[in-house]
Amino acid sequence: MQPDGSLEVENTVRAVLRDVLGLSEERAAAFREDTPLFGALPELDSLAVAGVLTEIEDRLGILIEDDEVDGEMLESFGALTRFAAAKALG
Amino acid sequence: MIESYDWAGGREAMLRFGPDTGPVIIAALPLFEEANRTRAFVVTILRALAERGIASALPDLPGQGESLVPTDRIAVANLRNAFADAARATARRAYSVGIRSGTLLDTSAILAGRWHFAPQTGPELLRELNRVRQTGDGSDFAGNSLSPAFLAELDNAGVEAARTIRLDSDPKDADARFTGAPLWRRAEPDNDPALAALLADDITAWVRACEG
Repeated sequence: MQPDGSLEVENTVRAVLRDVLGLSEERAAAFREDTPLFGALPELDSLAVAGVLTEIEDRLGILIEDDEVDGEMLESFGALTRFAAAKALG
Repeated sequence: MIESYDWAGGREAMLRFGPDTGPVIIAALPLFEEANRTRAFVVTILRALAERGIASALPDLPGQGESLVPTDRIAVANLRNAFADAARATARRAYSVGIRSGTLLDTSAILAGRWHFAPQTGPELLRELNRVRQTGDGSDFAGNSLSPAFLAELDNAGVEAARTIRLDSDPKDADARFTGAPLWRRAEPDNDPALAALLADDITAWVRACEG
């Protein structure tokens, strides 16, 4: 069972990737748990990562510390969503 | 039309739009990279205001746009004073329109009112600059060399009370919200004429209400 609010977090992360990377609605909607992100999406370079993280912070009202940012959390859509949910939902 | 204005440190360019009479909107772009990402959008808003009979000016501020001032000499006070001098140079009743960190810059000007879209505070900008620096080699901020004094000022740079507009996706307090994507986050500059028209409608109604 998913914790309350996890679908909202997933939708927020999906919308952030769409808005920041300029992806089409269809492309963003097609993201699944195991869809690879960093290294697989050409739009997601290191500067774009900074924008994605800051926008997730603003929309979810969370703070992401620099030492929490690593390749693992950006590996897949599911990993990024789980990281954001753990921060936002506690 | 391209004009210019003088401030204590020199002369900067200023784009002018709309009629020669009536109040004038002085627009402040965000600082640094976000300025490139929102310039076309802001110009679209100012052209839409001109169609609605409202004049505006978009000054280059010291160290921004085409300004020859090097970025490591940027100071919050210089940006604010230059913005105030740009407003004064129009010799008309002025209102500010600030986007993102542009909302930090209208505090010194004598204005009839302030209108802010998606305001970014000084500490929020500082945090973002530090994050951007870490994605590079750590020596500058995405190509901008900034002084330690300026970075320290940002930590205490506040925003004046204003009519505040935000995107639907932004949960912070707002006087009104509109649907759209945060163009200031896009790596490639983009535009949103539909959102620009809605914001121009809001600015027009607000200025007319202030003018009574």
